[in-house]
Amino acid sequence: MSIEPGAVLLMQWLSPAYPVGAFAYSHGLEAACAAGQVTDGRTLSDWLGDLLLYGAGRTDPILLACAYRAGDEATVAQVDARSRAFAPSRERLAETVNQGRAFCQTTAGVWGHDLPDLTYPVAVGRAARLHGLSLDLTLQMYVHAFVSNLVAAAQRLLPVGQLEGQRVLTDLAPLIREAAQNALDRDLTALAGASFASDIASMHHETQYSRIFRS
Amino acid sequence: MRLKELHQAGAMKLLFPQGRPHPEAVMVNTAGGITGGDRFDIAAASLAGGKLTMTTQAAERAYRAQPGETGRMETCLELASGAQLNWLPQETILFEGCRFARSLKVEMAADSRFLMVEPIVFGRMAMGEELQDAAFSDRVEIRRDGHLIYYDGVDLAGDIAATLDRPAVAAGARAMAALVLAAPDAEAWIKPLRDMLPATGGVSLVADGLLVLRLLATDSFEMRQSLVPILDRLTKHGLPRCWRL
Repeated sequence: MSIEPGAVLLMQWLSPAYPVGAFAYSHGLEAACAAGQVTDGRTLSDWLGDLLLYGAGRTDPILLACAYRAGDEATVAQVDARSRAFAPSRERLAETVNQGRAFCQTTAGVWGHDLPDLTYPVAVGRAARLHGLSLDLTLQMYVHAFVSNLVAAAQRLLPVGQLEGQRVLTDLAPLIREAAQNALDRDLTALAGASFASDIASMHHETQYSRIFRS
Repeated sequence: MRLKELHQAGAMKLLFPQGRPHPEAVMVNTAGGITGGDRFDIAAASLAGGKLTMTTQAAERAYRAQPGETGRMETCLELASGAQLNWLPQETILFEGCRFARSLKVEMAADSRFLMVEPIVFGRMAMGEELQDAAFSDRVEIRRDGHLIYYDGVDLAGDIAATLDRPAVAAGARAMAALVLAAPDAEAWIKPLRDMLPATGGVSLVADGLLVLRLLATDSFEMRQSLVPILDRLTKHGLPRCWRL
């Protein structure tokens, strides 16, 4: 068998069954759907592709990789401070803080790590390091889980069926690998993007009248 | 107003208009703009209990750069206890072929009030210019009481017009502004600002004492139509005159 050691553990951590509550967050997608910016499979694919090139799909992996490479708790705390300060809106901050806290509590509870409250990508990066998992594989699976969660969210918001949702995810696979690959040799000075419209959508979501997601 | 210390060298000069409600410092780039290889450093401090508004006399221009060269601007601002500082430069216009990197670092005391806006215009729209080969990089860090409370990073390079056309980036907008209010009374502004924003703008109270606003607009005229009334209210009608021209 040629499964990389740790792959099963990463599948557990990044599966929708791991209790971080990812299903509750749409990353502003719910507001973008309400405003008609995302309406079907094609526009969903464009929107998620933008996040992978210019949004959290690009910057979360950088934060994860920086936390993974951090040699001590103090450096992890610095990466985490930057992650919090980079949140573009109140709900996007809650999205990364709450999922991160839940991940740390569950992971500490099961494996006995001493994990402080960290934002989500920083928490995953730190835990992967403590377990000696491959950074490359951790990044790919993290980014895949991020996109997969948003495709699932879109299926609750739009007339996008199971088949079309999986097609969108399949089409985005090259960008998922690229976003993971990009983070391998980036430090915090590379933490930058340009997903302005997505950030604004997450601000609009705060006052959205009818909503099923927390972001 | 008391000016404790002033040092200027090179192309950047400061003017201090008289008869304004609060002290103002107007930055004048006597070179007319920034080109590849230029290096501008700006530092200002608002001392304990002081009030200062800083702006630019005109829109800043980032000109086409020579191959391999990048124009840089680095700004450091300090706010002492009880100080107020409004950092309100007019828009920066990016020209086709520019290579421009800038950074803004702010250190503020816990009880100080900092307001900033950074408007960017992508290309000289009046002449139909599109940015098809340009580079722009921006970093903003705000520390309050030594803790990083706000960080923003923007990197755009290559065919910037095509990037801005993408739906989750700017959906075709050619002007963008980021506004931050870090102040004890930030929460009081969220509702009034929401009511003043067009559908292409958003505002959020990200944390206690930290309000962030992001605005997209077709062009600089439309951006000003939204920004001027907002800045006027946030400065309690103290918006520098040059913003109104």
